[in-house]
Order: sequence, then C-alpha cells, then structure tokens
Amino acid sequence: MQRRRTFLRHSALLGICAGMLLPFYWVLKTAVTNENIYAYPPRLLPTSPHLFNFVDVWYFIPFPRYLLNSLIVSALVVVCNIGFNAMAGYALTKSFPAKRAVLLVFLSCMLIPFQATIIPAYLITSKLGLLNSYFGLALPLLSTIVCIFVFKAAFEAVPQSLVDAARIDGLTEWRIILRILLPLSKAAIATNVVLAFIWSWNAFLWPLIITRDPTMQTLPLGLARFLSYLEDTTGALYAFAVMVLAPSIFVFLMAQKEFIRGLTSGATKG
Amino acid sequence: MPHWSKSRWVIVPLIIAVVVLAWNGYVALHAGGDVEGRVVDAAGRPVPDATVILLERHFVMHNERQRTHTNSSGYFRFSGNDNHSLQLEAEATGLGRSERRVVRLWFRAQNVRLSEPLQFAGRLP
Repeated sequence: MQRRRTFLRHSALLGICAGMLLPFYWVLKTAVTNENIYAYPPRLLPTSPHLFNFVDVWYFIPFPRYLLNSLIVSALVVVCNIGFNAMAGYALTKSFPAKRAVLLVFLSCMLIPFQATIIPAYLITSKLGLLNSYFGLALPLLSTIVCIFVFKAAFEAVPQSLVDAARIDGLTEWRIILRILLPLSKAAIATNVVLAFIWSWNAFLWPLIITRDPTMQTLPLGLARFLSYLEDTTGALYAFAVMVLAPSIFVFLMAQKEFIRGLTSGATKG
Repeated sequence: MPHWSKSRWVIVPLIIAVVVLAWNGYVALHAGGDVEGRVVDAAGRPVPDATVILLERHFVMHNERQRTHTNSSGYFRFSGNDNHSLQLEAEATGLGRSERRVVRLWFRAQNVRLSEPLQFAGRLP
C-alpha cells in the first residue's frame, strides 16, 4: 500500500516536472530544427535536427560582443552585490537607533517597481557620467534588498559566540565579515550569485535606456535587434533564446544546492 | 592538490575554457576559406568549363559573391570565402543550371569539399 502510494506520488511529480519542462523542451526543439513553433499538428520529436541555427546567431549579429558585455556587467553586479549586501546585512544584525525604521524603509522600497524609479535612476547615472558604460549598466543592481535580507538571515544564524571570540582575538569588523561570517554563509553567497546574475543577465529596460552605442548592448537587447533584423527565423530566433538562457541555467545548476539552502534559511530565520 | 582546486566552481569553468581553446585552435587551423567540389552531368561524367557560382547569405537573402570555372575533370575551387552559409550553383552551355546546393559551415571561412558533386539534370553530348 505504502509502495503504491509512493509510486503514485512520484508519477504525479514526474508528470508535473514534464509539464513544467515542456516549454523549455519546445524552445530547444525549435532551435535545432527549422520548424515553426505554431506548426500543426505539433511534432514531439525534432525532424532532421541540426545546430546551424546557433552558427547563424553567432555570425549574423555581433553575438560575441553582446556576450562579452553581458558577462562583464553580470560579473560586476555579482561581485558588488556580494560585497555591498554582506556589509549591509552585517550592519542590520547589529543594534542601532532607528534600526526598525531602516528595516521598514528597506521593506517598503521593495514594493516600488523599478519602472517607477527609472527616470531618477537615469538622471543620477547621467550626472555620474556613467551613461553608455559597463558600470552604468550595472549600477541599479549593485545592491539588492532581497539579498541584503538573505545575508542578514545567514549572519544571524552564525553563533554570536564565534563573532565575540573573533573580536576578543583582535579581528576588526571587516575581518570578522571576511574571515568568519562569509565562509560560514556559503548558501547566502550562492543565493546572491544566482539571483544577481539572473537579474543582471535578463535586464532589458535599463540597458535599453542607457546604452547609446550598439557595441555596449547586452544580450537581451541583441535578441530584440535580431528579431527586428530577420524574418522567418523561427529556428535561429529560438537558438538565440537558448544561447541567452544557457549561462543563467548553468549558473543556477552550479549553485542550486546552496541556492535552495540559502532561500530556505532566509525564509525560516529572516 | 589544494582543496579549492577540486571545487566544481574551478573544474567546470576550466573544462569550458579548455573546450573553447581547443575549438578556437581547430577553427584557426581550418579557416582557409576554400570551397571545392566537382560538377557532373546526369550520367555522372565531369563537366569541364562549367561556371560555378558561389552565393553567400546576408540575413534573408543570398547574394552572388564569386564565380569560377571547372577544369577538365569538372573540379572547381573557390578561395577567400569568409561566410558560413553558402549556396552553390553551376551552369553550362547546353546543360542549363544545376540544382542550387545549400552549404552550411560550422564557422566562417571553413575549408570545405563537397561530398556530393553538383549535378546537372541533362547529359553531355
């Protein structure tokens, strides 16, 4: 009876997984064929699959340049996120006047959509002289409130006695973060890396607004440009989508164990 | 071996870097831009002095890029191709035009030799 119930549960879970993966499979299948995605009747298996659509994407537009831009911006975002968020998260584990107000401001800022603040963000970036630059592209995502709370939760989970011992040993606050807290918060770091990378990688509106030079554009903008250049490109278009998606999926798969642990930790101890 | 070197964050990017370097090395060694093949009639006999046209793809159109002629063995060769998506077509007096052959390359300027010759529907007299 127990075995039957387990079998049914696993079958249901497998069915749900298959349903959720079907769109990804369909994108991949379309990318390796030249079938129209709306073709009727739909074929589950690809006919005459090939990889030449990926070659077309690589050469028809400056894909390597977009890839490099996206990688640079995402690397900047990830590195700065870990640094700034760890510092902010550590500060929020301390007691200080108006801490509650600061937390409330942080939480309420999370409710404001980025689109609502995009004009001030543009003006600030312009005043800083960072328009059309990698740092300007990364600027709005250099620190994210969600990840600050992830670090706060992770740091609060570290026994206070460890921090006290480090302080007695003469470590400064910076070194306590670097030597004690960060090595014990790998799940929070992985969560931060995954979230920051994916948000930065997929950003479309901000790069669209602040880049003037086509050589500074990132992959999502390249996708839009590719779409406007070519017609009848079902296969190549989806090949492009796969090539844009692949790095974020790769980063997620690399960090998934710690990512899930980091999110759970944030959920239960935040 | 230090502990960090066994991390997947080191090993996987290292493997990717090696694959990318190896691929680029292969590309550098095989990107001469040579396209060669043969032209035959319906009976499989080589067609000498046929004109072979190389068209290259530009987004949605194919534009003529080069022309050459076959030698006495029906052999032709283009050099200096720098595209990755080509079409080849042959024409000869009395035989008309061959079918247009799509040639997809893995990288720009890849050296390629057609496995099947361009074939006319007609026969040489």
